[in-house]
Amino acid sequence: MKRITIGLVVMLLALPGQAAALDLKETPSLRDDIANGRVPPVSERVPLVPSVVDMAAEGKSIGSQGGTLHTLMGAAKDTRIMTVYGYARLVTYTPELEIVPDILEAVDIEDGRAFTLKLRPGHKWSDGHPFTSADFRYYWEDMAKNEEISPFGLPPALLVDGERPLVEFPDETTVRYSWSSPNPYFLPALAGASPLYIYRPAHYLKQFHAKYQDADKLAAMIKKQGQRNWAALHQKQGRQYRNQNVDLPTLQPWVLATAPPSQRFEFMRNPFYHRIDPDGQQLPYIDRVVVDIAGSSLVPLKTGAGESDLQARYLRFDNFTFLKEGEERNDYTVRLWPQMVGAQLALFPNLNANDPAWREVLRDSRFRRALSLAIDRDEINQVVYFGLALASNNTVLPQSPLFKPEYQTKWAQFDTDRANALLDEMGLTKRDSEGTRLLPNGKPAFIVVETAGESTEQTDVLELIADGWSKIGVKLFTKPSQREVFRNRIFAGDTIMSIWSGLNNGNATAAMSPTELAPSTQQQLQWPKWGQYYETKGKAGEKPDLTEVVELADLLHEWEGTVDSTKREEIWQKMLTTHADQQYTIGLVCAVLQPVVVSNRLHNVPADGLWNWDPGAHFGIFRPDTFWLDGTDKPLPPPPEAKD
Amino acid sequence: MFNYVAHRLLIMIPTLLAISFIVFVIIQLPPGDYLESYVAELQSQGENVDPQKIAFLREQYGFDEPFLAQYATWVFGMLQGDFGYSFEYSLPVRDVVGDRLWLTFFISFATIVFTWIVSFPIGVYSATHQYSWGDYGLTFLGFIGLATPNFLLALVLLYIGNVYFGTSIGGLMDDQYIGAPWSWGKIASILEHLWIPVIVIGTSGTASMIRRLRANLLDELQKQYVTTGRAKGLPATRLLLKYPLRMALNPFISDIGNILPQVISGAAIVSVVLNLPTTGPMLLDALRSQDMYLAGSFLMFLALLTVVGVLVSDLLLAVLDPRIRFQGGSR
Repeated sequence: MKRITIGLVVMLLALPGQAAALDLKETPSLRDDIANGRVPPVSERVPLVPSVVDMAAEGKSIGSQGGTLHTLMGAAKDTRIMTVYGYARLVTYTPELEIVPDILEAVDIEDGRAFTLKLRPGHKWSDGHPFTSADFRYYWEDMAKNEEISPFGLPPALLVDGERPLVEFPDETTVRYSWSSPNPYFLPALAGASPLYIYRPAHYLKQFHAKYQDADKLAAMIKKQGQRNWAALHQKQGRQYRNQNVDLPTLQPWVLATAPPSQRFEFMRNPFYHRIDPDGQQLPYIDRVVVDIAGSSLVPLKTGAGESDLQARYLRFDNFTFLKEGEERNDYTVRLWPQMVGAQLALFPNLNANDPAWREVLRDSRFRRALSLAIDRDEINQVVYFGLALASNNTVLPQSPLFKPEYQTKWAQFDTDRANALLDEMGLTKRDSEGTRLLPNGKPAFIVVETAGESTEQTDVLELIADGWSKIGVKLFTKPSQREVFRNRIFAGDTIMSIWSGLNNGNATAAMSPTELAPSTQQQLQWPKWGQYYETKGKAGEKPDLTEVVELADLLHEWEGTVDSTKREEIWQKMLTTHADQQYTIGLVCAVLQPVVVSNRLHNVPADGLWNWDPGAHFGIFRPDTFWLDGTDKPLPPPPEAKD
Repeated sequence: MFNYVAHRLLIMIPTLLAISFIVFVIIQLPPGDYLESYVAELQSQGENVDPQKIAFLREQYGFDEPFLAQYATWVFGMLQGDFGYSFEYSLPVRDVVGDRLWLTFFISFATIVFTWIVSFPIGVYSATHQYSWGDYGLTFLGFIGLATPNFLLALVLLYIGNVYFGTSIGGLMDDQYIGAPWSWGKIASILEHLWIPVIVIGTSGTASMIRRLRANLLDELQKQYVTTGRAKGLPATRLLLKYPLRMALNPFISDIGNILPQVISGAAIVSVVLNLPTTGPMLLDALRSQDMYLAGSFLMFLALLTVVGVLVSDLLLAVLDPRIRFQGGSR
């Protein structure tokens, strides 16, 4: 039987007794609270086995505690971003994209199917209440298995081919999840930017649970919060990710301190956070994070005026020159981090289109290849992205260990002659008086590319593509619509082709699921109905009838069933090869840069980071709890008294 | 008089009911519902959503109920002072709106006062000095205010405020005062930020007000009673203020009905650009994300303002202008 324990390094660093041996330093900003007895001293706040961050190994400097970090967001519900940036998870991704324990002390994995989670002894919630396996038990028994809270069953990551896990709680600091076959989705789900929470603060949430709370009291609370029933109330008060309830205990580095609605949200340090630096200072370094809500269009302006210490969200590549201009005046630096989407923009021929003539043509790989060959990607790169992006198919990026150059270039060189030859070979030789090729049913090859109508970037790019396509007798029309309409038309098969961004995770490793490459959800714009078929296990959608597509689905299933890393890599390579060859999606450019504005007072933000949602959690993967501000803090009035 | 007012008040009830129905239909007209736009928004930023959670929320929010049932819930709720639930903020609507209404009133009031203070003397001056250089010059200025797109003016003033006066960009106060208790510093900060929105929103209304006052006053100045007054030796200023100006004031008063909702809704774009904590941006967002009860409540509020405003201006007109008599409908 194969067993792997991840997190050995952390274990060695933090042997029992190590915490005491480490000379813990008291946090300056908490001195008053400790004197008042509101918060215990640091030795009682950190777990007996804290997580000691190896700053040197991460190339970071040891900082000092204190200060306020300002950042901007576009909407009040963006408070959830602090859950993402905080990135305290049971297990987390390292910048090298390995999964290591974080809140957990260790994870013991057997054959990829049984996971023994070891908690840190003495770990506490942000309100000082102990964090134990009882919190996992509460989630499992009182939430996941409760039909009113989870009427639709378990989250998909907890099911293996429909099988529920066996969950055991041997002692206070041990939790065990096991299935009869491997579950490759479990740990990535726990480490996600928007993670799967398999634990909840039981001591707090019990007051909203019908099993534990008096019916009259519960009814009064439901009424006060304007909810429909206790399950909705429980759900509202217990949202760890959405981060809207100031009373909800958390394990994140910063705790929400402003009750919504507001234009400005304050997050204060979690005095019970589980990480410390090698000098014995408790993390996070930064005492307070202030998130100002400024309409999304105003974020670049305000950032350029120096009103944010750390900003990337709501900034776009075309803000770069403006931001650069303010660098000196406002004492910040603009960095450019590559984005990790497989393609900034890609065309999605709808293989499930309703129009029979188009469906026939689009399913012919020669047609898709010809369209791809007739796009001048270098021109797009030069004109729209100042030549700073990379002409590419929609595939993994050069940073990924799975990358091969041909994935990026196959059928992607600008070659009108070859494209024309392919179309002729297909028999699309008849043309109308304007030179547009005629489809087999005699209609001209007019392709309407639908966009969600949100940025001029898409329409600009399409304009350039139209030039190339006119040379092969295909006419392109752009139709901007509105996001919901856009998606629904594609799902229904009314759309022939659409434009959207490519693979969400272009920096994949073999251990990450290749779900995006196989039909698996309705959200896949190139084959929504096939995706829906797999998503609903055959209850809705259409069964795919292209051999290669069925093969992709089989490969995904095979990947899910194996834990062998060579085998996994082989599967990935096969799928990537098929995609490059078949051009199911026609990628245009990738590695478009994300401007990241960092105040010159802020340290430990990597100079060359990567910008990605999952895995990556935007800044989260670089651990903002280790960022620190130097002494020249802007003077601010004291924080307002907390309102009841 | 009493009958007239009672009649008008009674008519408001069916009017508002009809408006509420239209409002609700229009909000629900676009395809999809709040959850769909929510999911789409998350996905566009790379986030993904558990479809089970969405199904759960759809049931909790009552989106599975038929249209009329949703409408009925809303209207009956409103009669009892419950404006429904905002999905976007996951709070009851009354909690979301909170301070915003007062700040909106405050800005609107300041804007109306600004408009009057600027347009009143200019209007009088242009009428009494018709076709003079001053008339042309001031009218020209007014038209510039009318012709410049508000959002553009807002951006220019933002830039000037930030670079030359160090005012923080957008908002109605410096960031550290948001949510803080009231203090002199906070009031000073508000006053420092207030001038931009007031000028921007105010300028567009100023020109039309000037023109209307000028035209009305010119009409009056030609009339017999003015000539008579002058012939009898009344001093020019007193004559002007006592008779023709009083008659020419009608547009100021009759505008109250329009100006209230106009300032509040017309300022929405400016508020979005300037990131003002008023109702405008919230209404726009609510409409975009189909947060139907929030949007509906705002629109109902605007409707109520219009109806009340028209009544108030009618009553004031009657007080001001003896030529107006209550007859319509009250017989």
